[in-house]
Amino acid sequence: MKVLYGFEYRRGTSVIHRIDPRSKMIYVILFTALTVYFVNPLVLLLVLSSSFPIVLISKITSRWAQSIKGSLFFIAFIFIFNFIGIVLATGSVYDAVISGISMSIRFIALISIFSVFFLTTSPEDLTQSMVQMRIPYDYALTFNMAMRFVPTLSREAQIIMDAQKSRGLEMEKGNLIQRIKNYIPVLIPLIISSFRRAELVADAMESRAFGASKKRTSLYVLAMGKRDALFILISVISFLLLLSLKLVFGIP
Amino acid sequence: MILFDDVSYSYSPGRYALEHINLNIGEAELAAILGENGAGKTTLVKHINGLLKPQSGKVTVSGIDTKDSTVATLARKVGLVFQNPDHQLFAETVEKELAFALVNFGLPPDEVSRRVDWAMKEFELTQYRERPPFMLSGGERKRLALASVLCYDPQILILDEPTTGQDSRQKTRLAALLKRINGEGKTVLVVTHDMEFVADFIPKVVLLSKGRVLAEGPAEEILTNRELLMSASLLPPQLAELSWDLALQRPTIDLEQVVLVASKLVGGPQR
Repeated sequence: MKVLYGFEYRRGTSVIHRIDPRSKMIYVILFTALTVYFVNPLVLLLVLSSSFPIVLISKITSRWAQSIKGSLFFIAFIFIFNFIGIVLATGSVYDAVISGISMSIRFIALISIFSVFFLTTSPEDLTQSMVQMRIPYDYALTFNMAMRFVPTLSREAQIIMDAQKSRGLEMEKGNLIQRIKNYIPVLIPLIISSFRRAELVADAMESRAFGASKKRTSLYVLAMGKRDALFILISVISFLLLLSLKLVFGIP
Repeated sequence: MILFDDVSYSYSPGRYALEHINLNIGEAELAAILGENGAGKTTLVKHINGLLKPQSGKVTVSGIDTKDSTVATLARKVGLVFQNPDHQLFAETVEKELAFALVNFGLPPDEVSRRVDWAMKEFELTQYRERPPFMLSGGERKRLALASVLCYDPQILILDEPTTGQDSRQKTRLAALLKRINGEGKTVLVVTHDMEFVADFIPKVVLLSKGRVLAEGPAEEILTNRELLMSASLLPPQLAELSWDLALQRPTIDLEQVVLVASKLVGGPQR
């Protein structure tokens, strides 16, 4: 669950924090595409390292590191399943190891790119940028709230796990199916309390006249500036450079 | 029975949730753990059933170091009821909810059904036997959560805020039940903000503030100590305030005594 802390926005003053969410979205889209496009582990490592300068400039190293550290658990899974799958399909252990490594790096790269985005983008700015991109306000707000409640949910899951352990639930007991079943006493309260909270939030919003005015206006309007142009330029150039590795040099 | 030996715990570096806690809770004690919001009450009780292990120091529960044990093992001895019932109710029916812990601890079926029946009767839930827990009212869910731990009869019982959302009748019932369980030789700890509940029913108090034990002793003594309560941001019980207002020589939380003094003051009928 620690991985989720790496997506929780904290106020910051760095250049990256002040860049328009739309510019950062361009970076996220371009580099996400690259992680899917390439299979060579070394190139994927380069894609991953694209997020390092952003992490350093925006001074989010410790939180970012937390999300990476939290994702290591999943990487073990991804590697093992991928390895088994490839070995069964091709019978080549070498291929399986390489593919397992690429898959793992791809996953870390994705986590890193998205973590950088969400750690440096305030939910309000994100909603505003979506509205300015002509996404209906209701949908933008829904997305914003979904993101907003992720850390809340992870904290709640922890409390529920503690409560059920106190009643003698052993999460790590039994075979695979039993272990999955062990999660039922955690998942059900989590889902139900999420519904309860959603209802509460809806009531609270309506009590404060949500949707009373047909035409919403914004106090702040996001505007792209020079630093956005620079950020997009750097992103696009490094994207093209990486892309040329395949198009020009034929690296898969 | 429960021994905290110089226990410290912090969730984030540099800020202690518990700081050098030394505490000894004996067998068959009935005590309240009081303290302001964020004083470390919940962190403290989570150490008793091993959900948290001390970062320094040692917690011993009936002779067992919690570091050498698991939550599942300690839970058999230490029943911990969480504050929000919605964090633990999950089963299809009230009956199954109550059986959950009993089945986890591997009790035989006839014993399970006997204890489930007892708990439903004790907490006035019998008419809801087949009802899903989520359909119950807030107060009933709270009672069900309590019942689901009490039914396996732990040697040590810890309740986190058991009185919130309960009316006076249910509070009195709860107090009577706690007294009875305590009378059977069980240790009962109540984490609460409900000063009146403590003043009326709980004989011993552990006062926490900012991660430290501020005071420990008889409720009568601590709940009538104005400075102590002030420094822990706690509202004094009404009887203590009344005794201060009447300028009693020995402030008390005992109704009889306050009435006695008050009626003397107004020259009313002597009792």
